[in-house]
Amino acid sequence: MTASRPAGDVGAPKGVSRPAGGVGASMSALYEMPAELAIDTSIARRVIAEFIRGQLRQAGFEKTVVGLSGGIDSAVVAFLVAEAIGAERLLAVLMPYRTSSPASRTDAETVVARLGCASEVVDISPMVDAFFANDQDASSLRRGNFMARQRMAVLYDRSVTWSGLVVGTGNKTESLIGYTTLFGDSACAFNPIGDLYKSQIRQMAEALGVPEAIIRKAPSADLWPGQTDEAEADISYPLLDRLLFWRVDKRRSVDEVVAMGFERTLVERVDRMIASSEFKRQVPPIAKLGPRTAGVDYLYPRRRPGSARG
Amino acid sequence: MQPLRIALAQIAPRLGLLDENLARHHEIIEEARGKGAGLVVFPELGLTGYLLQDLAAEVAMRLDDPRLATLASAAKGMSVIVSFVEESGDHRLFIAAALLEEGRIAHVHRKLYLPTYGLFDERRFFAAGDLLRAVPSRLGVGVGLAVCEDFWHLNVPQILALDGAQILVNVSSSPGRDLAATNEVGLGTATSWRNLMRTYAQLTTSFVIFCNRVGVDESISFWGGSEVIAPSGEAVFSAPFFEEGLFTADISLADVRRERIGLPLLRDERPELHVRELARIVAERAGLATDSTADDLAEAGLDVAPGDPIENPIGFRAGRR
Repeated sequence: MTASRPAGDVGAPKGVSRPAGGVGASMSALYEMPAELAIDTSIARRVIAEFIRGQLRQAGFEKTVVGLSGGIDSAVVAFLVAEAIGAERLLAVLMPYRTSSPASRTDAETVVARLGCASEVVDISPMVDAFFANDQDASSLRRGNFMARQRMAVLYDRSVTWSGLVVGTGNKTESLIGYTTLFGDSACAFNPIGDLYKSQIRQMAEALGVPEAIIRKAPSADLWPGQTDEAEADISYPLLDRLLFWRVDKRRSVDEVVAMGFERTLVERVDRMIASSEFKRQVPPIAKLGPRTAGVDYLYPRRRPGSARG
Repeated sequence: MQPLRIALAQIAPRLGLLDENLARHHEIIEEARGKGAGLVVFPELGLTGYLLQDLAAEVAMRLDDPRLATLASAAKGMSVIVSFVEESGDHRLFIAAALLEEGRIAHVHRKLYLPTYGLFDERRFFAAGDLLRAVPSRLGVGVGLAVCEDFWHLNVPQILALDGAQILVNVSSSPGRDLAATNEVGLGTATSWRNLMRTYAQLTTSFVIFCNRVGVDESISFWGGSEVIAPSGEAVFSAPFFEEGLFTADISLADVRRERIGLPLLRDERPELHVRELARIVAERAGLATDSTADDLAEAGLDVAPGDPIENPIGFRAGRR
């Protein structure tokens, strides 16, 4: 999760007075899991493993590159890739900036050690600092976005040197509220976890045996000391995930979710976040001029016959 | 009646690779023959893959295509159901399922209902079929073919059974989705389909065969779980989810007679009642007849007049006038 603070301006909507739809939150020892979001992780792992293998086969690749931040999303992706194709076909790239938390580095290294995959550390500080050398007043938003795009550039370079596809690590929660950097952390060849909410990622992490410290810690873009997603967005993940689930997946109206116990100011704020980030979830539009236009009336499977490299 | 061995080809077709898929079909037909199968069922668009979009026209075959003739020849001595993109003489593209028997195409069913909602976009690329027929087969019973979404419409299994089918075959490319842990089998799609198949088998007192593909096209994963359901509604065989394979199940066609004697639902069906009431509804929806049991201000085809649009969604209102 990186940069681009969501346009939140409504203060302190904390929690709901009662559980939605009569569904209570079940408690794991490690995290809070809203009951309505619980998935069958064994089926999810099966689907995702076949998805990863299919994507690679259809593209003519055998290996993958994953940017490992030390957080739960990229750890889960690394575990899923290792499960699908074997850790020996995974390159984990650690890309710390000089202000990154040392704990993030340690956690990422734990994942590498646990999986036994290839890894590389690329310090992005010189690249980022060189760019902002004569622009010391650059905002944290600009710096954060730039870091995310530097990491993307590094991963795509390693895609060539390692002959691997870049696997996306963005989750459904951050995608829906737009807490991502366009062409930065959201850039990838394919994404195995993009339809899982943060709470469901935690459930997957537990099932996969991701180290507990990574599951327990507060999610963070790690752009400055003490930063956390939940403080920045001013909402907890279990609450946000539940709201998104009922609004988006279950098509409940604003009035209906308010009747379920969600605060109206929170619902409206999250609705604005979803709408204002729609552009981040779609391919940029092309002005329609010719007889057939990609994405409009020239529609082929991304992995059509002949699309595999080689 | 001899027992019948059914072979379910729960395969993962390669998207758009017709020749590769044809070769795989030939291999599987031989493998099924080796296993003693009398009926072999391949999934929807098993010869082409599902998410074709503009590739549909590029992999389409006319019914006189020599590749289909070769496949039909290879199927001799068995009944084999395959599925592909059919191009008609007037260049419409259909999702077709064909019954191959005695070295020829014995019957073609063109998918009737093309889902174009949610993750589906079939109507954009395909034409919908117009014919629904049960056909005789070398198995000695009537066979009714349907493709995937066709079975999300109650009339299809019922018409096939009334038309003389004792075996209803649904070939599918059903994308798995909804992993909610509360689902009976961990996958919402599978729970729904399993309910449908059992219900149809019981209500039509027929065997229901469901052959669903596995593998991945783009974002979507197909869940397999192919099944054979007895006329009693009980599963004879359930293939594993997501696993590619050629699975066999043995059935006794005499079960159809036993079930229909003991539970004569088909005997008691009232097709003339259907026709009469449906003809009435069609006329009412077209505004050609007055619905004597509807509210005065109800829209054509609806029984209930709209309530206050603020207080009540259209079509619902509290109490009757």
